[in-house]
Amino acid sequence: MKNNLVSRNLAVGALGLAAFLWAASAWAHHSISGKFNTTAAKTTLVGVVTSVDWRNPHVHVFMNVKTAGQAKAGAQILNWAVELESPSILEMEGHNRNTLHVGAAITVRGSRARDNSRQLWGEDVRFTVDQSLVFPPKVKLPRNPTNSRATPTWPDGQPALGQAPGAADGFWTDPSETALVEDGVTVAMDEYGVLANPADAAKVAPMQPWALGVYQYRQSRQLRDDPTYVNCKPPGGPRMYQSRLGVQLVEDRERKRIFVLMGSGNHNYRIIYLDGRKQVGLQGGDDDNPLYFGRSAGKWEGKTLVVDTIDFNEDFWFTQGGLPHTGQLHMIERFTRTDYDTLRYEVQIDDAGAYTRNWSASWTLKWNGGGALPSHFCQNNRQ
Amino acid sequence: MRIFRYLKWSPAVFALAAILPMAAQEGYPLKGSWIGEWSANATHGNDIILVMNWDGKAVSGIINPGTDNIKIDKATLDPAGWKVHIEADAKDKAGAAIRYVIDGAIGQLEMANRTITGTWSSQKGKGKFEIRRQ
Repeated sequence: MKNNLVSRNLAVGALGLAAFLWAASAWAHHSISGKFNTTAAKTTLVGVVTSVDWRNPHVHVFMNVKTAGQAKAGAQILNWAVELESPSILEMEGHNRNTLHVGAAITVRGSRARDNSRQLWGEDVRFTVDQSLVFPPKVKLPRNPTNSRATPTWPDGQPALGQAPGAADGFWTDPSETALVEDGVTVAMDEYGVLANPADAAKVAPMQPWALGVYQYRQSRQLRDDPTYVNCKPPGGPRMYQSRLGVQLVEDRERKRIFVLMGSGNHNYRIIYLDGRKQVGLQGGDDDNPLYFGRSAGKWEGKTLVVDTIDFNEDFWFTQGGLPHTGQLHMIERFTRTDYDTLRYEVQIDDAGAYTRNWSASWTLKWNGGGALPSHFCQNNRQ
Repeated sequence: MRIFRYLKWSPAVFALAAILPMAAQEGYPLKGSWIGEWSANATHGNDIILVMNWDGKAVSGIINPGTDNIKIDKATLDPAGWKVHIEADAKDKAGAAIRYVIDGAIGQLEMANRTITGTWSSQKGKGKFEIRRQ
């Protein structure tokens, strides 16, 4: 009898896994808001782990869950897929593929898939026996010391935007804003940029009618078409400074250039030239050098690095929430390390192809000293 | 002998398709190259290529029916329903002026290879119209 139950559980698990893999092939990588209804009432599952799939872009835990009302209808066990953050983020929190074992009894609270399939975005995973936390309800990267430290400088007095001379390396993370909104505008949205109230769309930025229509369309689809996820396109523009996985600024002072390495987006990078070169070349780049990050020329104005960037292509979304841009996008960014642990980022958006006027946004990032820039890959790299 | 008509102008399609960027295009929805048919068009043939651009204020571009380019005189996009309206002045084989009016709507806006379907009309007739972005 027990063997029959075990066999059936295994069969259910295998079927569930097969169904999930079929569904996953259709979804590929995705935005969280696009796949899961994160604003609806949460669902709680209690069951037993049948498999742990520790791979990019997201970790999955499969679990067998007994359905309610089983006494009358007979025992029914369904296999669920619980999706978690990327391996990189979970590993930063000290987890690994052995954190959970097959057979462990767990309780999961999270958001159900929008298509009502048996998939859950796991926001709180606990061992059922003692309710101790397995995975955190919300990942928080290491915070910095609260005591203010002076801005580090190079011997010539210029601020160091990355690793300070003689100090440990690190990267910038924990952006105070995770979606682009014009300065001075307050609208409620989730961390992925989905508006709490769709009627707020026109407030976000001064969009032309077509751009507002595109933005509303993307919002209505919960950002599920975001090419950063669907097609693994680089998250160019200001978006690269709104990732929780952070950015690392590496200053090559001898050759007068700054590399901006991303903790997300397949480790894409951007180069800011400070050698006075002209921003010339084919608009949007070409197949050999598609300009997801444009052509950037920087110069120092006092303690602030000012970067002028043009020639973006139109193949990506330059913000998390789905604001559109065109090839006319001209970006002026200002990087100011206001103290050792704070980077103020300001950006002016000049895109007459999509907006009715220039507009600006700003936020801060925090220094994660001694930490290695986390890797995150759109497609699996951990077979 | 419909096949010969296709063969006749297919090199032009391939040549144009080869030089035009096959980009995802997440910007202005009409921008790019489109290939399709305006069916029942005896004046210019059924097969067409449209190339449209956006300068931030107006749409410009051409309709290529396999012969001479027809300059788009006016094109508008209404986000309410993603309605497209195009007007263009051409000449028939005898050199007489004809004016095309095309009305349609974008389908699958989220896709790089989105469509525009609708109707065309001129003094010489009218028919259905369907193009897909390349």
